[in-house]
Amino acid sequence: MKQSTLSVLVGFLLVIIFGLLLFAYQVRQTEVAVVTTFGKPTNDRTAPGLYWKMPWPIQKVYKFDKRIQNFEEDKFEETFTSDKKNLLVRVYAGWRIIEPRIFLQRFANGSVQEAERTLEGLIRTEKNATVGKHPFSHFISPNENDVKLVEIEQEILKSVQERAKGNYGVEVTFLGIKKLGLPESITQKVFDRMKAERDRLVQEYKGQGESQSIIIRATADRERDGILAQGDADAMRIRGPGDAEAAKYYSVFEKAPELALYLLGLNALHEILKERSTLILDQRTPPFNLLTAKPEAPAKK
Amino acid sequence: MSDNHDHPEHEQGHEHDHDASEPGAPAPVTAEDAGSQALSEALKSSFAIIKIVMVILVIVFLCSGIFTVSSQEVAVILRFGKPIGGGAGRLLRPGLHWSFPYPIDEIVKIPIGQIQTVTSTVGWYATLPELEAAQTEPDPGPSLNPASDGYTLTADGNIIHVRSTLQYRINDPFRYAFNFASGTNLNLFTGSSNLIQNALNNALFHTSAHYTVDKALGDRTGFKEKLLARVNQLIEEQGLGVAVETSNLDLIAPRQVKDKFKEVDAAQQDWSNARDTARGYANEIVNRAHGEASALVNAGETARNQLLQAVEAEARYLSDQLPYYNRDPKLYLQRLQIEAFQRLMTNAQVEKWFIPDRADGKSRELRLQLSREPQKPTVKEPEKTDATPMTRDVRRR
Repeated sequence: MKQSTLSVLVGFLLVIIFGLLLFAYQVRQTEVAVVTTFGKPTNDRTAPGLYWKMPWPIQKVYKFDKRIQNFEEDKFEETFTSDKKNLLVRVYAGWRIIEPRIFLQRFANGSVQEAERTLEGLIRTEKNATVGKHPFSHFISPNENDVKLVEIEQEILKSVQERAKGNYGVEVTFLGIKKLGLPESITQKVFDRMKAERDRLVQEYKGQGESQSIIIRATADRERDGILAQGDADAMRIRGPGDAEAAKYYSVFEKAPELALYLLGLNALHEILKERSTLILDQRTPPFNLLTAKPEAPAKK
Repeated sequence: MSDNHDHPEHEQGHEHDHDASEPGAPAPVTAEDAGSQALSEALKSSFAIIKIVMVILVIVFLCSGIFTVSSQEVAVILRFGKPIGGGAGRLLRPGLHWSFPYPIDEIVKIPIGQIQTVTSTVGWYATLPELEAAQTEPDPGPSLNPASDGYTLTADGNIIHVRSTLQYRINDPFRYAFNFASGTNLNLFTGSSNLIQNALNNALFHTSAHYTVDKALGDRTGFKEKLLARVNQLIEEQGLGVAVETSNLDLIAPRQVKDKFKEVDAAQQDWSNARDTARGYANEIVNRAHGEASALVNAGETARNQLLQAVEAEARYLSDQLPYYNRDPKLYLQRLQIEAFQRLMTNAQVEKWFIPDRADGKSRELRLQLSREPQKPTVKEPEKTDATPMTRDVRRR
């Protein structure tokens, strides 16, 4: 009969669904699970998929989020560096559950809150221990090679990892400094120092400004003198050959040196008396001698 | 089973239907038989309806697995908790998709199109959003409270305030969604955003530790680059599955010492002004010196040419005049002398004094009062003394 086949089919389906609910469970991509048999952990399920189990109360499945969780320290406390300086360090970390069995046993019902509390204590201890091993200059130093923030982070991470994995079934995947600070009273001192430093810089700039401009000006003056001297020298060098060249015309003058000298003298006289000048003459000066001389004198020779 | 449930009101007719079917094909023609026949007809048609309903239900059941992925997201199907497909294939691209309904399949949608923003939480002084919006700041106390005020420490042990905002998008949706959690709800995706924020916080301290306060304030671009490099390094190392798109950075000196920093800026400004002025002066005088030097050289050249020309002209004149001179040198020279004298005497520029000899033939004593007036150009004494012997000289020849 059609109806009865259908009913049987539907009934069968319901039985399967019911059975699956009792005997199967899923572990999602983001989860890990641990199966307990009569309260005792028997199976770890770290890969996602569908798994079988005995129905409650024989077996029970505990699932945990296996994704990396962000953990941050709540407190921003003072710690001491190896040279007894106060420093406030706060770190954050990424952690996840990798061994659900240990996790379940260690923390009641696998409480994540409890795990975080434990982790906080652990991280704080290791952080303080590590910071205590390093001098202040590994955190803050004008010398770039002294700063060892990365190394310090790695050191804390390593020691936390070692202790967390075996004991808590938890892996701390990374750890970093979230905040770094100084005690409140020290910040005031830092400000005072910064102010003093600024004052020093102001003085430095003032002094530098003056001395630099003096140097620049002096250098320029020297350069100018040099250039002018060079110019003078060049001009002299140019004139020299001119005098030599002029000398070749002297052969002409040699033909009649008297005439040449006379002409030169007249030229010079002409040049000299171009400007306003005063000339005092006596009567023997020709042609004024004509005024006193006897007219017979200039007779025929 | 289901038919019983579906037709509780036909309970009665049901019994009759069974009764009717048992006797077989020959149907007794009674009023009752006719009634039961009608009933069985009705039942048959209701079965048909049930079948249709069931088919529709199955279709609806199958269709309930149809879902869309919008252009802003990708999706992953978890079958019994395990993602279907591997590698890039497990990410469903935007479009229409089908999956089995829950609890067989589970759809996880990841919003990859959105640009997400995260701002650093350390490094800035305590302020309120209202004050920030009004661009004012709370009065700075003498010190910074580590619990509320944020700051970073520079390499030279100074304090600065830094704040950075990152814009990022998810570039590895699978990692972003499935590897990081901040809650236990699968569908609430804070993903790795908390860790990105902490990576940014961490980078602020790491970067500050490598900068002195002056270098940081003077080279904000470099600071930002270094900051981003550190953030990207952390994103890479921790596999956060995101890519930083843009970032911005606020970096200031603490308010407590702000005025002092301004003073330094002003001093620096003065310093560079003074230097610029000095450089300007230097340029000017050097350039002028170059000009003067070339003027000197030119003058030298000119003087040379003039000398040459003058000498040449004289030489030419002399050789022209030579024949006339040779004819009667004495006459020629005297003529020249008188010509020159005439030129001289008719020259208005020259003041002439004529002193006749004393009658007794003795030499006369001549007293000149020379007063040199430095300002106005007047009589030039040197010429005067020169001139007389010259003329005498000429005359004696």
